[in-house]
Amino acid sequence: MRINCPYCGARCLEEFTYRGDATVKRPESIDESARDAWVDYVYLRDNPAGLHKELWHHGAGCHSWLEVTRNTVTHEIVAVELAAKGR
Amino acid sequence: MPILSIRKESGSVSNLESTSALHGFAAPGRYGKRDGDAGVTASERKNLGLATIAARKGQEAALKAAIQSAYGADLPDGSTSAVGKGVRFIGIGPGQWFAVSDSLANEALADELSTKLQGLASIADHSSGRAVMRIEGPAVKDALAKGLAIDLDPRVFVDGAAATSTLSHMGVLLWRDGDAYDVALFRSVGGSFWGWLRASAAEYGLEFVTTS
Repeated sequence: MRINCPYCGARCLEEFTYRGDATVKRPESIDESARDAWVDYVYLRDNPAGLHKELWHHGAGCHSWLEVTRNTVTHEIVAVELAAKGR
Repeated sequence: MPILSIRKESGSVSNLESTSALHGFAAPGRYGKRDGDAGVTASERKNLGLATIAARKGQEAALKAAIQSAYGADLPDGSTSAVGKGVRFIGIGPGQWFAVSDSLANEALADELSTKLQGLASIADHSSGRAVMRIEGPAVKDALAKGLAIDLDPRVFVDGAAATSTLSHMGVLLWRDGDAYDVALFRSVGGSFWGWLRASAAEYGLEFVTTS
């Protein structure tokens, strides 16, 4: 599998580290009432068969965090963006 | 005692001869195939000024203008390099560059960049932490291909092109200078690099020469 890094170009898998679901959002509140939201954020993940947005770190290259859209059935990668886009 | 006062005195650290990253295990000479011209020639570019430049938040445009004004080079937005007055600037990531200089030797490059780019970028001296090996010769691409998963075809890896990647699992920064390839590696893996190079270039004949 190769990932087409927006900065470096197409690179082989061993240059990257997988971080996981790119769509989870850290809860704003640290109150006890936000407990369920925290359990969801820390532990619960969907396991989709199909397109999945996920974070990869290009540790052996430009050190960018990437947001990769990958088909979990075929491993086809349909989009790669810098996670820091627009920031 | 403040470190600065040590560095400025005569006979100080900066006046010492730097030791080769391959000292003690790589002797100049011919390795591998003995007959014919060497297919690969390797040398160490010693006493280079090496430094990283990281743009401060919101200062990238001002940093580019300052580099253009001081060195006459356009900081590249991708993994390629631009050569200005005495300094090569190599893109290593968004908002980050690696600077290499012959004329601003050792820590002089980082010192000058820190002064000229104050407030625009963070500068880190890498001159004592990395070794730069120059690899060239008719079989250089075949030898490098044994450890590096980068397409070095001259149509895509043009003069000045650069890549941050791994070479036989060692993190390297590589750039093309004419027909030669410069490989910056951490000094601590100098021995591993030499072992890899000696084995990988053996079938083409390897000539190791010293420079500086």
